[in-house]
Amino acid sequence: MSDDIVLKVEDLHKNYGNVTVLKGVSFEVRRGETKIICGPSGSGKSTLLRCLNLITRPDKGRIWLEREEITNRNININKVRQKIGFVFQEFNLFNHLTALRNVSVGLEVVKKMNKDEARKIALEMLKKVGLEEHAHKYPAELSGGQKQRVAIARALAMNPAIIFYDEPTSALDPQLIGEVLEVMKALAREKVTSIVVTHEMGFALSVGDEMLFMYDGKIIERGIPQEVIQNPRCEEARRFFQRINELYVGKRR
Amino acid sequence: MSFWESFISYLLQGWVATLEILAISIPLSILLGLSLAVARVYGNWLISLIAGGFVALLRGLPLVVTLLIVFFALPKLGIYFSPFWAAVIAFIMCSGAYQSEYVRGAIRSIDVGQSLAAQALGMTKIQEVIYIILPQAFRRALPGITNEIIYLILYSSLAYLVGVQELFSIAKHFNSLQFRPIEIFSTTALIYAFMATIATLFFRKLENKLKIPGLETI
Ligand SMILES: Nc1ncnc2c1ncn2[C@@H]1O[C@H](COP(=O)(O)OP(=O)(O)OP(=O)(O)O)[C@@H](O)[C@H]1O
Ligand SMILES: [Mg+2]
Repeated sequence: MSDDIVLKVEDLHKNYGNVTVLKGVSFEVRRGETKIICGPSGSGKSTLLRCLNLITRPDKGRIWLEREEITNRNININKVRQKIGFVFQEFNLFNHLTALRNVSVGLEVVKKMNKDEARKIALEMLKKVGLEEHAHKYPAELSGGQKQRVAIARALAMNPAIIFYDEPTSALDPQLIGEVLEVMKALAREKVTSIVVTHEMGFALSVGDEMLFMYDGKIIERGIPQEVIQNPRCEEARRFFQRINELYVGKRR
Repeated sequence: MSFWESFISYLLQGWVATLEILAISIPLSILLGLSLAVARVYGNWLISLIAGGFVALLRGLPLVVTLLIVFFALPKLGIYFSPFWAAVIAFIMCSGAYQSEYVRGAIRSIDVGQSLAAQALGMTKIQEVIYIILPQAFRRALPGITNEIIYLILYSSLAYLVGVQELFSIAKHFNSLQFRPIEIFSTTALIYAFMATIATLFFRKLENKLKIPGLETI
């Protein structure tokens, strides 16, 4: 596996009881790449991301993160997760910590950095997402878009090899989506490696390097975003993008 | 010496003993409550069962019975405590068991997303519990814990049963000598009410100090 590959996934399977949610997923993410994943609800996108950072254990298949096989049983899961940033649909900021402490707590507790150094990095990261002026605020005092930007800063601060975003703008009011996408775009242009589960086609088209279309636990179509969105080969993808398109146009009206 | 002079000087000695009991049992009961709750929620099945059984047992016994068991029954098994320590231990166990119920409820009420985010940062379970879950759960459980502490202050008077020379036992003893129950017991009652009020004010202040927007207590 070349140095250029940050993440490699091979034949991933996941069952919940007797329901198979992932049915053999394989792909690679190159360094600096922004990989877009989309697909209908229930197709297994969130499950895939959770398997990739081992929050749920896949039943079959292998995953490598920077040449290290993390599906290996002897691996230190917490070490692996330090290298993977995770941005949740529901933000999941720590409710009892200020924006600044939300970003620095991982550095202090997990990376054992001293308080001052962690604080300095946290401030830098908040600056990067345009929130240094809100550093002292608690999550309840921030808007949804600001919360999600803090969450991105929190992930970024750990200096991860890759960041996963699971529908980062789906819980936001339409007028707040833009500010989050702008931050994500800027990071993508800085070549921060990422996997983004999203239905924001504008985002996919402007910074996505490759798009994977998931359906029923499998990747059934892949390619550069423009082709997948505008000329899908399979019927399922065609129907999906048509619906997205209708919703999108509907929202803008 | 007048009645009041000797009464007050006696009573002060008892009050000091009561304060000693409380100074030890209040912090340790809080610690026990937190530990029991964590053991029940995060322990493996065995630890969780033991902690749960302990809580169920202590909540099922009248405190008097717990106290008498610690003082009179445990020595039969070779475990001896002075009256003072028997009382302190019984109070810690009883109050800790009740407090743990509030803490456990508070832990359960915390959104699973908090735990997911902690895990995603690479925190171990212990780090997650210490830095993310307990600070939030403690705040939510604080009003319930305060209640239990007030009870603890009042039922510390039960220590008289095993012969601790604390506030109530002194009052009772003094009354048997002087037989002026109205003065003696109303003064004693005032002191208990005073302690309960101070505790209430203290914990209310603590609650305000720990208050975080959006993390309202339940
Ligand atoms: N913990 C679980 N236990 C049982 N079934 C689950 C669990 N998590 C997910 N599933 C099931 O797995 C399937 C895939 O879910 P997943 O959340 O991965 O889909 P998704 O593509 O992220 O959908 P959405 O767009 O709605 O977020 C669904 O049918 C879901 O009901
Ligand atoms: Mg999902």
